[in-house]
Amino acid sequence: MNNVMIVLAVMLSWGVLPVASGETYTPGRKVNKDFASFAKAFLSSHCADCHGDTEPEGSLSLHNLGPVDEVNAGTWEAVWAQVTLKEMPPKDAEQPRVVERLQFSDWIVGELTRVMRDKGGFRAHLDPNKGNFVDHGLLFGTLPAGIRLEPTSSPARIWRVTPQEHITRLNELINRESDFDPEKPGLRTHGDVVPTNHGGELKLYFGTDRIIRWEGGTVAYATAVKSVPAVLSSARNHGLENYPDFYTVNSAEATQILSKAEDILQYMAYGPLSIANPEQIADDPKTYDKVKPKGDIRGLPTAIVYSTKVVRPLTPVYHLMKHEGISDKHLRDAVDYLFEALTFRLPSNEESDTYLKIVKQSVEKLGKEDGVILGLSSIFLDRDALFRPELGENGKPDQHGRVMLQDSELGLAVNHALSYIKPDEQLRNAIVEGRMRTRADVKREVERMLADNSMRKPRLLRFFRDYFDHDLGGYICKDAKALASTGASNQGQAHYRAMFDATASSDRLIELILQEDKDVLRQLLTTDKVVATTADKVYFGKKLTREETAAAVIAAKKAAEEQVKKDAVALESLEKEVVSLEARLKGNPEAKETRKALDRKKKLLASAKKKVSAGKKRRASGNHSVAEAKLSGPKMYARVSRRSFGAGSMRPDRILATAPAGQRLGILTHPSWLVAHSDAMDNHAILRGRWIRERLLGGGIPDVPITVDAMLPDEPQNTLRERMQVTRKTYCWTCHRKMDPLGLPFEMYNHAGLYRETELNKPVDTTGEIIDSGDPTLDGKVANAIDMIETLAASKRAEQVFVRYAFRFWMGRNETLNDAPVLQEAYQAYKNTDGSMKALLVSLLTSDAFLYRTGSEPTFGEAN
Amino acid sequence: MLNRRNMLHGMAAGVGATFGASLFPERIMASPVNNTNPRRIIFFMQNQGFDPATCVPKGMTSSGSLAKARLPEPIEALEPYKERLHIINGLHGMHTSPSHSAFFGALGGYRGSDGVPPSAPTIDYELSKVLPQTLLPHLCIGMDSIENMTTKPTIATLSASGAGQPIFMHSNPNHLYQMLYGGISTGDIRLQHEARSNVLNQIEKLAAANGRSLPTTDRQRYGQYVQGFKDVNGLRDRLDTVSDHLRKFAPAVDERYTKPEFETDWHDVLLDLGISALTSGITNTLTIGSGRGQIFGAWKGLGVEDQGHNLGHMKQPDNPIWIKIRQYNSRMLVRIMESLESVPEGSGTMMDHTLIVYTSNNADKQHTNGANWPVMLLGNFNGTFKTGCFTQLDGKRPINALFATLLRVAGQNIDRFNMNDQLARKFDTGTGPLKEVLA
Repeated sequence: MNNVMIVLAVMLSWGVLPVASGETYTPGRKVNKDFASFAKAFLSSHCADCHGDTEPEGSLSLHNLGPVDEVNAGTWEAVWAQVTLKEMPPKDAEQPRVVERLQFSDWIVGELTRVMRDKGGFRAHLDPNKGNFVDHGLLFGTLPAGIRLEPTSSPARIWRVTPQEHITRLNELINRESDFDPEKPGLRTHGDVVPTNHGGELKLYFGTDRIIRWEGGTVAYATAVKSVPAVLSSARNHGLENYPDFYTVNSAEATQILSKAEDILQYMAYGPLSIANPEQIADDPKTYDKVKPKGDIRGLPTAIVYSTKVVRPLTPVYHLMKHEGISDKHLRDAVDYLFEALTFRLPSNEESDTYLKIVKQSVEKLGKEDGVILGLSSIFLDRDALFRPELGENGKPDQHGRVMLQDSELGLAVNHALSYIKPDEQLRNAIVEGRMRTRADVKREVERMLADNSMRKPRLLRFFRDYFDHDLGGYICKDAKALASTGASNQGQAHYRAMFDATASSDRLIELILQEDKDVLRQLLTTDKVVATTADKVYFGKKLTREETAAAVIAAKKAAEEQVKKDAVALESLEKEVVSLEARLKGNPEAKETRKALDRKKKLLASAKKKVSAGKKRRASGNHSVAEAKLSGPKMYARVSRRSFGAGSMRPDRILATAPAGQRLGILTHPSWLVAHSDAMDNHAILRGRWIRERLLGGGIPDVPITVDAMLPDEPQNTLRERMQVTRKTYCWTCHRKMDPLGLPFEMYNHAGLYRETELNKPVDTTGEIIDSGDPTLDGKVANAIDMIETLAASKRAEQVFVRYAFRFWMGRNETLNDAPVLQEAYQAYKNTDGSMKALLVSLLTSDAFLYRTGSEPTFGEAN
Repeated sequence: MLNRRNMLHGMAAGVGATFGASLFPERIMASPVNNTNPRRIIFFMQNQGFDPATCVPKGMTSSGSLAKARLPEPIEALEPYKERLHIINGLHGMHTSPSHSAFFGALGGYRGSDGVPPSAPTIDYELSKVLPQTLLPHLCIGMDSIENMTTKPTIATLSASGAGQPIFMHSNPNHLYQMLYGGISTGDIRLQHEARSNVLNQIEKLAAANGRSLPTTDRQRYGQYVQGFKDVNGLRDRLDTVSDHLRKFAPAVDERYTKPEFETDWHDVLLDLGISALTSGITNTLTIGSGRGQIFGAWKGLGVEDQGHNLGHMKQPDNPIWIKIRQYNSRMLVRIMESLESVPEGSGTMMDHTLIVYTSNNADKQHTNGANWPVMLLGNFNGTFKTGCFTQLDGKRPINALFATLLRVAGQNIDRFNMNDQLARKFDTGTGPLKEVLA
């Protein structure tokens, strides 16, 4: 008898499995069990039949799987994922009781955490992509007996600022952004995030608001202007990108911050004079022309002329450097100002003194000019300028050991929930005056801020970017030939520019829906509105079939021929008139009226010739493979980068149009989302399906086993659906059934996001299926993406999953079962207000999970 | 994953010449003579393209020895060194969008363009991770017009440690000198060094004090922040302790640093600093961006009055301007080789264990589709590369294949560099290293 059989026999002889029915399970608490008496028994009961020592399923034998160790950690992680996601035991096998499964899952996490602590650690359960590993039914349904929840809280922590937050914070020091204009609500204004530039790079620009002239084209401009890229790093992946424990600041980043701080301080003190010669600062560029360097200066800083109007904020740093000598008052003002501008809180006396001392020491060594700049730059590296603390150091623990955040920590947490810039006057006063200490205080401020349209809330948009991932399209590198085949332009950077524009357009559409604040998720998923640029006529257009394209070419040719004839007639007529007038003038050179008429006709002729020539060019470059969408509607604006590329910078102008009927439905059918979920050559049905599975259905996908060669065959003669047949192998299909049938309905669009009815000259197959969604009423076949979206957008489950994602984003961590009351309350708040995002946010931001911290919480490993 | 090795390279990533391994002080002491398997690599990236007609000897259309060939005028300075030269024609970079520079894509082997952030690490950074560890794993220097170098003394356009993680290159020699040799400097540089040291020491103290009350779960993460300053400050201290060694290699500061007549004065001293970082053993990976990865740049000191974009619009073959620039590059390459040759290492010299990769971030010309990307290799990297020859490839393997070859030779067992199988089907007919260039 093998070991498994022995254990099983012993257990059967006891008559019960190790988890006693009267036992209580508390999520997050230590699982007081060991391998021999618990885990091994679980494996024997639920896994050994299929994963024994002979011909095990999936070639995975758990027969000899011993206690968790470094070598078998990968296997245990796979077991954890399968059991936690209820993939195993198989549906037709006897299932462990709920508590037993939870304990087994926790036990594995605890053991992996303990064993791997000094071997790179085990953090999979903390990864946002594993957030759905917590059972949705348990979070939103009734808990079975035996589960006892504890009042929730989040761990005390420091939260590193993101590159976007950091750049936006630094931008406040040197650039003055426009105030919110209610007449033009989409324009980028003060408080909005500094957007990525024309190429998708995040940069801080110096003095572009004063540039009145430059030499050369777009690249010359981009090279000549002073800009520094984001120094802090972050991964650009799909999904939630900023949990507090993701990032630190390495020494390279720190030294670069120090160096950039000096540039920023110089600009704060001297403005464009810190990056240009005095003669370049002139309201009339001609004055500079007289003295500018000779020769070709395109691409050089000396090619720029700045206006004399001071637009940067004039801060105590400016006043300090403007006045001769150094007074303690000026110095301290500068220190305190910078400290607050960079950390968003007032310095303590000790902190103020410390930095004052550093500056004085530097001045002593280097003199005022260099010493002040170097000394003040140290404040840019203060812990709280790079990490936001939520330590709960000043509160008293309640009976559960939780401390409620208060004062600046609470105020800054609330501020950070919505904003990238420092607290506004009212919140600042509330912090300073001791009015940020209670749940009611938080509710008051959150409701006030949410009601204030002029206060920009970039964190809200960030959430939707993390949720939808619609901001990644411009970073998907396209094969030029494959791109051309979609009907989109493959000329230069046109497609990438269009995608960065599309990101801004989708952002704006999201804002419009948030403004209505009704049925927010459903609206996002089903709106027929499109915020569009001119290029979107193609991207929202329809890719013609081969026959339609051929017909369009013939029609265009015919139209061109007719136009050529018309043009010829018109030109001939004009030319005749000119000749006639010239003859008349020859006969009577003094006839002023004739001369005038001749001049007019000549101008008309020249203009007509130009038009004819332009028409020829336009016709020659016409795109006959696309039926452009007829997009029209009121003008509006989208938030885009400002003057990063001279005349080629992104433009904010947009229209609010209606998408072609029957072809689009909501953001998931917009090119920004579709391209973000595509690859160089084709659609990415798996990624799209995964998005639906995880973010609308709340399902979890285990990691791809390392033994799997996750490649589709290279068969250009076959459709993506046909190539994806390889995922139907039993071994792959277990996971792929959760994704592929949800992603393939989007085959109604090609990989640039254009609507299509054929693929490889055959009618495109857009069918799919919702399988095992967790809500049987949703399951079933779907005709295409629109059909599927209509089904899902109306579902309670999708709304609840949306609430889970919002929880993760704003709490900065995955939910646990202890968070079930918070999630249920947030969902109810959303539901009771007909889908109000504001109500959802108020609920989340006044929840225990947001307000309370537990210090140095024991990790699973320590607990075990 | 957070670990020490990653951390050190994280540091290199951000600064270009960042403070490296505090835990390897022996390297700097031992590097010139004791290391049994030392290797180093230099990337020299000239902007505006590298026309094959300016490097391939006339009449050479197929692979063969350079022994009897005469090198073209632009690179004639390399004639005495052609037994260690390998000219490669026929790699491609069509997937990198190199027109007007591929920027990060030139060393990354992926799509790049103005304003496009890096999408993966570049080859120089990857090599710096696998080559023998030094104090500064990776140093990047950039040469440009004097205005650009003054206004923007550090920029990042060519090297990256990962997606969205650019590595900055240094263009102000005074700053770079202070960073490398502040401890042995005098005068203003010394004062700057001392003041900066004081600030960094104070920041370290503050950072450490602010970490004491953190929860255990955050201590490791925040600890790296504090450790970063400890490393920066520790390195400075150690550089001070080996100041006698550094003095042998540190260039003398002269008026070219403080009062440059032309930008080429700064180009020259930046190169001196780069070479000294190699010869002193401070680093083993040097990236030189002549034109800083962009489509501008100036060489007035060579008598080239034109500057910037127009240089790229000119045809390079037989063009007096481009002959001057390429000759200047070639002289720089000779300086690197002679300097490395003058330092004994093992049974030979440093140059025996070095490879110089000379090419352009712009393929063969400014407006190009990247169908041809000429490269010159100098040195044999411990005898692993063929030398003294010209290799004509068929244009079907990408620059990534060369980069994969470099990584293979450096000890990484990889078949492709930054190119997945899907892209490879379109852009690479082969797999693994470029056999044609290996000895």
